[in-house]
Amino acid sequence: MNDSMSIPHLIMNASLIVQLVMLLLLAASIASWIIIFQRSIALRRAEKAYQDFEDRFWSGVDLNELYRELPAEQESHGAEHVFRSGFREFNRLMPKTQSTDAVLEGVQRGQRVALSREEDRLQLHLTFLATVASASPYIGLFGTVWGIMGSFQSLSMAQQATLSTVAPWIAEALVATAMGLFAAIPAVIFYNRLSAHAGRLLGKYENFAEEFHAILHRNLQGRSEREAS
Amino acid sequence: MAKRERRVGYGWPVLLAIGVHVAALMLTLIKWPESESDPTSSSVVQATLVRAETATDQPQQTEDSTPPASQSEEEDAPEPEESAPSEASEEPEPDSEAETTDSAVEEAKAEAQRLQEEAQRAAEQRAEAEQQRQEEAEAERQRQEEAEAERQRQEEAEAERKRQAEAEAERKRQEEAEAEKKRQEEAEAEKKRQEEAEAEKKRQEEAEAERKRQQELAERAAQANNSSLDSMISDEEQSIANAKQASEAANGFKNLVRRYVEQSWNVPSNASSELRAIVRIQLLPTGELVNATIIQSSGNSAFDHSVINAVEKAAPFRAMRELDASVKGQFREFNLDFNPEDIR
Repeated sequence: MNDSMSIPHLIMNASLIVQLVMLLLLAASIASWIIIFQRSIALRRAEKAYQDFEDRFWSGVDLNELYRELPAEQESHGAEHVFRSGFREFNRLMPKTQSTDAVLEGVQRGQRVALSREEDRLQLHLTFLATVASASPYIGLFGTVWGIMGSFQSLSMAQQATLSTVAPWIAEALVATAMGLFAAIPAVIFYNRLSAHAGRLLGKYENFAEEFHAILHRNLQGRSEREAS
Repeated sequence: MAKRERRVGYGWPVLLAIGVHVAALMLTLIKWPESESDPTSSSVVQATLVRAETATDQPQQTEDSTPPASQSEEEDAPEPEESAPSEASEEPEPDSEAETTDSAVEEAKAEAQRLQEEAQRAAEQRAEAEQQRQEEAEAERQRQEEAEAERQRQEEAEAERKRQAEAEAERKRQEEAEAEKKRQEEAEAEKKRQEEAEAEKKRQEEAEAERKRQQELAERAAQANNSSLDSMISDEEQSIANAKQASEAANGFKNLVRRYVEQSWNVPSNASSELRAIVRIQLLPTGELVNATIIQSSGNSAFDHSVINAVEKAAPFRAMRELDASVKGQFREFNLDFNPEDIR
């Protein structure tokens, strides 16, 4: 009893399809946990980096200096990326046109592109978590149904339908559902948590972009008035 | 900063994820035996324990009793052997020295005494061991006897219980049989009574029929013999008699219908005793209700309604079938009046 009903024993004795389902669920579970750890670490670091950058931005440092200090375009992330793309657009458009509207429009467009890239990066692989969360219970249920079908087929062969002939099959089939839930529950919880975190971070980036835009606008307004006088 | 952020690779997450799964698997493996030890200690093991005690009780005791005995024998046996070599080693020494023969003799005597004492001690120990063995054997015998006596007592008790149960069962059987007999007898008695009643009814009916025949015969004779006046008088008498009979039968059937209707009549609670409703009831020859209408309302529509309901509920009136064909004609349509006082 002790040996035949243990979970590894049940898994080893399961039919091939049920074993394949279990393998699939195990792979999905491992992959989802990898994504959970990777994303939570990445998001925490991104938040920390954003706070550092914001502190530096509002510390009164010269924007040109800040732009020069920051690393090259491909390596910058988050709010730095937004700042860099906006400021580069501003620097490139300033010599070419006198119209402040055209400059601000270009800055806005560059920031928008950077923001959409950041959004993409923050929500990387989160859809996979959602897929695991919604699909793995069904996959596990499939394994269970298949196993119970097998149990009934074996029941038709048996002369007497005792509990001991059916119980191992059903227990083994239920392991598949258990594994599906084991994969799905963390995926659901962490999908909600991580996507909320990413959305919050993205909102911060957008706020920063607006503030930066307001600074540039103020700057240009002052300059044009000076030129007019 | 940015460089560090970019290095969030998949190495650590992979390790952590695999670690989580291994930990989960370990948890399932560790928890299984603990959780399964509880159910095994519940009902199944108790049953086996009782058996184990009773089955291994005597062998264990015999084992317990025999080892000490063999040990004591073993202990007893080696002692003389140990003393014999010591004698052998000690005895040659005085022989080889051969100078202090007296002392040797004394020593020999002392040793002989020692040997005797040891032999006595050994004998005493053996005797004690045997006594112990015997005592233990007796104790065991007593235990066995007691156990057997108890078993016998239990068996006797069980046998007595069985006997009592059987006796009770037999008593019950007898009682049931008697009760059935009584029931059958009562049923037979009732049948007889009913049969007698029917026979009496038949007798009475026959008697009445004979009387009628005699009357008719007499009337016919009277008609044939007497004058037209007499015949007219007798005709009148006959018609009066027929009317009486018809009215009696009609009253009987009416009363029956009234009783049926009143049984299924829910008189409204607010109906006063002064209310009175007359209902016209139309019946088929089989007794089924065709129509029931109020021909004189009581003035209280709820009361009228209840009366109609009661008539509809009481229908069909099967007693109609048993009436004579001549009387039936009267009851195709008749009136009944209802008054709450009839019931209260």
